[in-house]
Amino acid sequence: MISNDKTITVDARNLEPPEPMDRALAAAGLLRDGQHVRMLLHREPFPLYSILATMGLSYRTQLTPEGDFVILFAHAPEDLPT
Amino acid sequence: MQPATGLSYEQGPPLGLPLEFFRSAAYFLLLAAVAGMLTSLGSDALASRWSPAALAITHLLTLGFLGLIMLGALLQMLPVLLGVAVLLRPVWIRTARYSLSAGTLLLALGLYFVHTTLLASGATLLGFSLLVILAAFTRALFSNQALTLLTRTYQKAWLSLLITFSLGLTLAGGLAGLWTISDPIALTHLHLSWGLAGWTLLLIIGSAYQVIPMLQLTPPYPTRVSQYLTWILFIGLIIGTLGATRIASLVIAMAALGFALSTLWIQGRRRRKVNDETMKFWRLGMVSLAICALLIPIANQLSDPAQTSLGILFLLGFASSVVIGMLFKILPFLAWFHLRTQTGVSASQIPNMKQFVPDALQRRHFWLHLLGVVLLVPTPFLPTPFAIFAWGLLTVTAVWLLRRISEVRQSFLTHGGTL
Repeated sequence: MISNDKTITVDARNLEPPEPMDRALAAAGLLRDGQHVRMLLHREPFPLYSILATMGLSYRTQLTPEGDFVILFAHAPEDLPT
Repeated sequence: MQPATGLSYEQGPPLGLPLEFFRSAAYFLLLAAVAGMLTSLGSDALASRWSPAALAITHLLTLGFLGLIMLGALLQMLPVLLGVAVLLRPVWIRTARYSLSAGTLLLALGLYFVHTTLLASGATLLGFSLLVILAAFTRALFSNQALTLLTRTYQKAWLSLLITFSLGLTLAGGLAGLWTISDPIALTHLHLSWGLAGWTLLLIIGSAYQVIPMLQLTPPYPTRVSQYLTWILFIGLIIGTLGATRIASLVIAMAALGFALSTLWIQGRRRRKVNDETMKFWRLGMVSLAICALLIPIANQLSDPAQTSLGILFLLGFASSVVIGMLFKILPFLAWFHLRTQTGVSASQIPNMKQFVPDALQRRHFWLHLLGVVLLVPTPFLPTPFAIFAWGLLTVTAVWLLRRISEVRQSFLTHGGTL
C-alpha cells in the first residue's frame, strides 16, 4: 500500500482472494477526509461495492486500456479524482 | 466511518443457504457410494450402464451430488461474479432444495425398482423444483443488462439444464406409463448429452473463465478460447439434437479437449506459484475430461462396460474433481467473507481462508479421491471384491467431505458468524 496526502494506492492485481478485499477494507479504514483510495485489480469486485456502500463511502470504477479495473473510493464524491 | 455490518439479502443470501445445499449434496455422494458398494456385494449389475442400479446411482450423482452443489454455489457466486442476486426468498430456495432432494431419491428408487408410482412422484417433485429454480435464476441471468462473457455462458448452461430436465421428465413419464415414447434410446442419449456436455460442462467452463485466473493467479484464457468455445459446444449439442450425431460428437469432443488443454496450459503459466491444493483437483478433472473427449467420437463402438467406465471417468474423474476443488475454495471464501462483513472486526481476529479447510486435509482428500477414481473407472471389467473396495473408498471420501463442511460451519459459528 502506497500513501500520500491525496491518494492511497493499493495494487491487488496479483493477489490471491481474499487478500484484495482485505487490503481494500484496510485502506478504507485509513481513509481521511479529502483522501481517496486507488485500487488496481484484474477483475471487477462486485462484493466490494456493496460493502463500500454499507460503509457510506463513494466509489467509481474505471477500465484501463490494458483491461485492468481501477476502483476509486472516498468518504465523499468530491474527494474522488475526476 | 461506520464499520461494515453485513450484507443485505439482495447482495447475497446468508451463508446458511448454500451450506445446506452443499451438505445435502455430500449426503447424496455418500448415498451413491453406499448404493454402489451394496449393489456390488450381490451382483455385477454396475457393469452395464443400462442396469436399474447404474441408472439409479447415476441420478444420485448427477442430480443429487453435482446438481445440488452447482446450484448452491451459483446462489452465492452470482452476486460475487456478476453482481446480480437471486431474488427468491429463503423459504422458496429451501422448498426447492427439499423438493429436488426428495424428487431425486424417489426417482432413484423408481429407476432401481422399475416402480411406476415412485418414478411419477419423483418426476413431479423434480418438475416442481425446476419451476422454482428456473424462476430464481432466469431473472438473475436474463435481466442482467451487462451481457458479459460469463452471463452468456451461464445462459447457455441454463438453457441446457432446461432441455435436460424436460427430456428427463419426458423419459420418466414414459417409464411410469403416463405416455408412450417412440425412441427412448435416442431420447436418453439426448438427455445425457445436454446434461453432461451442456449443463455440467458449460457451467464449469463459464465458472473456470472467472475463477481459474482469479483464484489460481493464472493469465486469462486465450481470447479465442473464451469467445468461441462455448458456442462451438452449444452448436454441437444442437447439431446432435437435429440428428447428425456423428458430427455432433466430433464437435463436442473438440470443444471439451480445447477447454481441458487450455486450462492445463494457463495453469502452467501462473503469475505467482503459491501452493494451491485445489489446483490438483482441477488438473485431475482436466486430464479426465481430455481422455473422455478422445473417446467420445468412438463411444458408440465401445462395449457396454467400456461405456460405463467412460461415464464414471466423466462424472467422478472430471465433474466431481472440479466441483470438490471449487468447493474447497468457495467454502472458506464464503465463510471468511461473511464473517468479515458481519462482524466488522479486522482480518487478524478471524481465521484466514487456509484455516477453514487446511491444506493438509485438502491434500489427503485429493489423494483419496484420486485413488477412488483410478479404482472405480475399471470396475465394470473387474471382479466384485475389487468394486466393493473401490466404492468403499468413495464412501470414505463422502464422509470426509461432510466433515469438512461441518467444520467450516462450526468455525464460522464459533467466531461469531450468523447463518
